[in-house]
Amino acid sequence: MRNAYWLMRRELWENRAIWILPTVIGALLVLAALFGRADIDVSAGAPPYRMVGGLLLFAFGIVFFLVMSVYSAWYLLDSLHSERKDHSILFWKSLPVTDTETVLAKLATALLVIPLVYFAAADVTTLLIAFIVSVRASSWFGASLWRADLWLQLQALWVYLIVTSAVWYLPVAGWLMVISAWARRALSLWSILPPLALIWAESAFFGTRHLAAALSVRLVTGYPQIAFHGLWAALLQAVGAGGADPSFASADVWSLLDPIGFLRSPATWSGLAVGAALIAAAIRLRSRAVEL
Amino acid sequence: MPYVIDARDLRKRYGSRLAVDDASFTIGAGRIVGLVGPNGAGKTSILRAVLGLASYQGYLRVLGREPLGARAALMLETCFIADVAVMPPWLRVDRAVDFVAGVHPRFRRDRALALLGKTPIKPGSRMRELSKGMKTQVHLALAMAVDAKLLVLDEPTLGLDLLARRSFYDALLNDYMDETRTILITTHQVEEIENLLTDVLLLDRGRVVLQDSVEGLAARFASVVVGADRLEAARALGPFHERPALGRTILYFDNADRAALAAFGEVRSPSVADLFVAKLSGGTA
Repeated sequence: MRNAYWLMRRELWENRAIWILPTVIGALLVLAALFGRADIDVSAGAPPYRMVGGLLLFAFGIVFFLVMSVYSAWYLLDSLHSERKDHSILFWKSLPVTDTETVLAKLATALLVIPLVYFAAADVTTLLIAFIVSVRASSWFGASLWRADLWLQLQALWVYLIVTSAVWYLPVAGWLMVISAWARRALSLWSILPPLALIWAESAFFGTRHLAAALSVRLVTGYPQIAFHGLWAALLQAVGAGGADPSFASADVWSLLDPIGFLRSPATWSGLAVGAALIAAAIRLRSRAVEL
Repeated sequence: MPYVIDARDLRKRYGSRLAVDDASFTIGAGRIVGLVGPNGAGKTSILRAVLGLASYQGYLRVLGREPLGARAALMLETCFIADVAVMPPWLRVDRAVDFVAGVHPRFRRDRALALLGKTPIKPGSRMRELSKGMKTQVHLALAMAVDAKLLVLDEPTLGLDLLARRSFYDALLNDYMDETRTILITTHQVEEIENLLTDVLLLDRGRVVLQDSVEGLAARFASVVVGADRLEAARALGPFHERPALGRTILYFDNADRAALAAFGEVRSPSVADLFVAKLSGGTA
C-alpha cells in the first residue's frame, strides 16, 4: 500500500495535465458563466423547471467526462512508454518496487485517480456556475439549479460512471498498456492497426465480421446499453430527431442506472477477464523492458 | 562466506549474436571489481542479467537470489547507476528523495540530504534543469544513502568532466565503501579507476579472458623494456605481447621467471590499462 501511494504520487508529479486540464476547463466554463449570456428568454412560455437546471448541470458533467475519456486513453498509451523513451526506467527499476505494483498503480491512476480529479473539478465548477447564474440570471433559472435531489443525482451518476466504466473499459485500458509497454514508436498506430488488420483478415478469409461487431459493442454501443436503462434509445432518438426527448430529459438518474443488468451481463465479465489477461501481459512486458 | 555474485556458464543471446558466451566468475564481499572490456564485450549484458533486468541462460545467483523475477527483492540490497543520465527529467530533486524514502526501507534520508547539501544543487530543481554532472551527483547521493550490499555502476562517469569524475570516485571511496559492501563497476576509463579496484574481470567477445585480484595480476604479469640488440634473446622467453616504445620494445610476460627477465632491464608490473591492451590486441601492436 505504501508503494502504491508513492507510485500514484509519482504519476501526479509526472503528469501534471491530470489536474491542470480539468482546472483549465473549469476556469473557462466559469468565465463563460461570468461574462456570457446567463439567462434564458422565457417569453415563449416557461420551460419545464426541472429540465433546464438538470440539463445544464449534466451538460457540464458530460464535457468533463468526454475530455477525461480522451485524456485517460492518451495517458495509458503513454504510461509505460515515456519511461523507456527518457531512459528513466533504469532509475525506477533500481528501486525495490515490483513491475506488478508499477503497472497496477498506473492503471489505478487512469481508472480511479483521474476520474476522481475530474469529478471534483466538475463539482466545483458546477457549484461556482450555479452560484454565478443565481446572481446574474432571473430567479426561476437560478432556483432551478439549487435542488438537493438534482445534486445528489449528479454525484450518484459520477460514482456509477467511474465504477462501471472502469470495469467495462478495462480491456481497452489493458490493450493500451500492452502497446505502451511493447511498441518502440508510433504508439497510436500500433494501438489501432492490429485490430483493423484482424477485422480485414476475418472478412477476407471467412467473410464474417464478428470481431468488428465485438469491438463496436465494447467501444461504442455496449456501455450505454448494458449499464443504463433506456439511455441508448434516447441517444438514438436525440441523434435521429435532432433533439432530446423531453420526457427522457425530465426522467431522474435513479431510473436510468442499471447496476443489476450491468452485473448480470456476460459481456461485463468476459471484458473483465480479457482486461485482466492484457494487464498481466503488460506486467510481463514491463518486467523485461529496458530503455529504448 | 557465500559469493555476492556467482555466475556459471552465463549466456545471453540477441538473435544470432552471442553477447555473453559461457562466462563464469565469482565476486566476494568487500571487493571493488572492475568489469573491463572493449565495446561489445558483453559488459552491459552481464550487468543487466545480474540486476534482473534481462533474461539469460546458465546459472546466476546474486546475493543468493536468482535475479530474474526477483528484481524488486534484489533491489532492497542492491543499488545501480546506469550508463546514461537516467533521472526522470520532470522529477524535482527533493521529490526524488521523498520517493526513494517512501519506497525503500533501507534508504536513509538524512544521509542523502547531507550528501546533497555538499553540492550546489537546489532541492527545488527539476532534473532537466541540472547539468549531466549534477544529475549524476543526485543519483550517487540517492544510491549512497541506501544501506546496500552491492552497488553496480555502469559507466557512471560517462560524459562527466575530469573534476566531476574525480569527486565521484572520491565520494565513493571515502563516504561509501567498507568491508561489507561490494562494488561492480564498468568503465572505459580504466586508468582512472585502477587505483580503486581490488579485482579485475577482463571480458572479450562475451568471454571472461582474465579474472584476478590486482595483487594477483601484479605478481603474475611482468613487462620489461628491451633494446633492439637484445630483442631476439628476450623474445625467447615467450612474451604474449610486445609494443614499440621510443626505439625500444616493451615485452609483456605471463607467469615468466622474473629473475631471467631482470637480466634485460627493470621488470615492472604492467598497469590494468596496459594489460587490457596487451591481452586484447594479440601478439603485436
